[in-house]
Amino acid sequence: MSVQLKGRFSFPGGVHPPEKKELACESPIQPGPAVTEVAVMLSQHLGAVCDPLIRKADAVQAGQKIGDRDAFVSAPVHSPINGKVKEIALRSHAVIGRGLAIVIEALPNNPTKRSHFTLPDGFDERKYSAEQICEAVREAGLVGMGGAGFPTRVKIEPNPRLPKETLIINGCECEPYITCDYRIMLEWTNQIIAGVRLARRASGCSRVFIAIEDNKPLAIEAISEALKNAADGDRIAVAPVKTKYPQGGERQLIRAVLKRYVPTGGIPPMIGVVVLNVATAAAIAEAVVSGQPLTHRVVTVTGEAIARPGNYYVPIGTSVEDLVEFCGGVTEKCAKVVLGGPMMGIAIADLKTPVTKATNAVTVLTREQIGRAKFARRQTACIRCGRCLQVCPENLNPTKIAHAVKHNLLDVAAGYYMNACIQCGCCSYVCPANIELTGYVKTGKIFLAREKKKMAE
Amino acid sequence: MILAAVFELWSSAWPAGLTMLGLGSGFAVVLLIASEKLKVEVDPKIEQIHGALPNLDCGACGFAGCGQYAKAILGNAELLGKCAPGGAETSAKIADILNLQVSDSGPPKRPIIHCRAHADDKTIYAIYQGIQSCTAANALPYVQACGFGCLSFGDCTRACKFDALHIVDGLSTVDYDKCTGCTACSKACPRHLIEMVPFRYENMMTVACSSKESGKSTRAFCKVGCIGCGLCVKQSELFKVEQNIARFDYAQYQMTEKEEAAMNKCPTKVIIYRGKTAPEPPQPRSRTAAATKA
Repeated sequence: MSVQLKGRFSFPGGVHPPEKKELACESPIQPGPAVTEVAVMLSQHLGAVCDPLIRKADAVQAGQKIGDRDAFVSAPVHSPINGKVKEIALRSHAVIGRGLAIVIEALPNNPTKRSHFTLPDGFDERKYSAEQICEAVREAGLVGMGGAGFPTRVKIEPNPRLPKETLIINGCECEPYITCDYRIMLEWTNQIIAGVRLARRASGCSRVFIAIEDNKPLAIEAISEALKNAADGDRIAVAPVKTKYPQGGERQLIRAVLKRYVPTGGIPPMIGVVVLNVATAAAIAEAVVSGQPLTHRVVTVTGEAIARPGNYYVPIGTSVEDLVEFCGGVTEKCAKVVLGGPMMGIAIADLKTPVTKATNAVTVLTREQIGRAKFARRQTACIRCGRCLQVCPENLNPTKIAHAVKHNLLDVAAGYYMNACIQCGCCSYVCPANIELTGYVKTGKIFLAREKKKMAE
Repeated sequence: MILAAVFELWSSAWPAGLTMLGLGSGFAVVLLIASEKLKVEVDPKIEQIHGALPNLDCGACGFAGCGQYAKAILGNAELLGKCAPGGAETSAKIADILNLQVSDSGPPKRPIIHCRAHADDKTIYAIYQGIQSCTAANALPYVQACGFGCLSFGDCTRACKFDALHIVDGLSTVDYDKCTGCTACSKACPRHLIEMVPFRYENMMTVACSSKESGKSTRAFCKVGCIGCGLCVKQSELFKVEQNIARFDYAQYQMTEKEEAAMNKCPTKVIIYRGKTAPEPPQPRSRTAAATKA
């Protein structure tokens, strides 16, 4: 018996940009390029950066732990291939600019493609204790695979001060263009559900919702189908949510599904909720059942300017250049390469940037596409139309914050709850005056953090 | 006729005038009593110290303004000598007021920018059209290929209250005649390129680069970057190379032939003079050769 909730859950605010999912949504998950060199970043997650555990010229095996840190909020990194450590050097990173990476040269004896994990028959999550699951998740280096990269162990580990009761599995994938989670839901359905059960057991949650946007009816159907004959099907509900951006933001999703608000400046565990991405759920199953660390992930390579868009299961550390070349290279119209989707992704200039655990897509945009972006046209004065207020999913006043930051009035900006901004980019998207509102808020947050640090000294 | 009108006005206005006068004197008495009874004792020394300070409210001392700093010195004499714009002169004046001995705080500190790459020297991969601020640009990777060098959007020039910093051809440049050493620029730089250095001489030698990249990457990103080759270390023991970048020990700074030799040996000409009368920095070898050919 399965439960499919009726209705379209939603939250106030948000926008609905063109979905563009048709470019890659029909393409099944395929193995990625055979790499000759990977660069495994030591910082692939929020929290403490790993220390390298190996030295230059060491031989490494696929799955060997090559970086770790004895900190609570951290996750180890593993080598995805058999090879030799070429160097430990600076590589481009979408978030931190330049960061240390372990560069591994592939040996010729590498299996050309890693066979994907299949769930064994007779899988029963009750065979694993909560501690076992948490330990396996930590050892496998699991982090949130939706984009932020928060270490998963920290999320699912039971905390006596903040008991968890509801688990939401995030299959929204609200960003335009990206389709990797959609393909995972269609192709690895049983694995996701096994991961959901393991996460539920580890965190001690009683209710589980799998939230999927209603522009993916096939995924909703596949998951409902898989749950139909399950004994615990009535404790896992599929919640179709309205297709809009940023439905996949965890605060928005909790608001939509549970009609509850995460307090401003707070985190979901404060109201007893854990939100995990579907790709993370699938990775949990693999990590716990087979003990395989997280060394590969599904990346969507898409955009109008790429010859063959698709979804690829690639080793973490593969350079964007290799990926793009494998997909037939970019067409002449290519104007911008973005890691992630067009709304929250970060534009990169160095194609040697490696894929990290949190990279869900490489989006290659054409000049026509970025022609709509804010910077391409000149910014004009704010006309006080209030559209940014209408779309802000956090009910903030982006234009007030942006003006305060522009004039260096950080206390004023903080008074408008600048730090509550989730940087979804909706305000910048709708602004008719082309003001980079999100950019100003992001800058303001950096200024404020620096100011606080100065005060502390 | 007119006289009658004036008299009329006076006769109707005097009660109001008298009331105001009464109220005014009443309040004056209240204020007089309050000012005596509720008087806050202010140490006259604070006023004197405040007078001795330059009153620029630049914040170099770490306090909100000169008034706050004056109060703080009175409480804690160790804070003396933190006024960068005032320098030794102001310290001496304040010490006189407080009957203290001034300890020699050493030569005045001035900023040195650890980058010498002008617009032509840098490799740029992509066009940045976002918010024109170093902090905003630094949040995005790859505004320019070098992740350590000057971004030249002028956060430091905006922080400077003395008009002593200017962006010259894609590089922030200090005007040492105007600089007071208030450290505002070094706090504003998101890449921490600006170091406050004790200027023992009019011109100071410096390694004008911050790139921690390997030599190969630095060469690819910049024509005048430090490649960490270590030639300077062989010439003078004041230099040391850490994390692919040569650094200079300013505590033991002295000008000898050895340092001059290190400067001349530097293949990318990244060891240069900064200061009031610093000579024009030499161009790296490959570039000058190319220029003569052309």
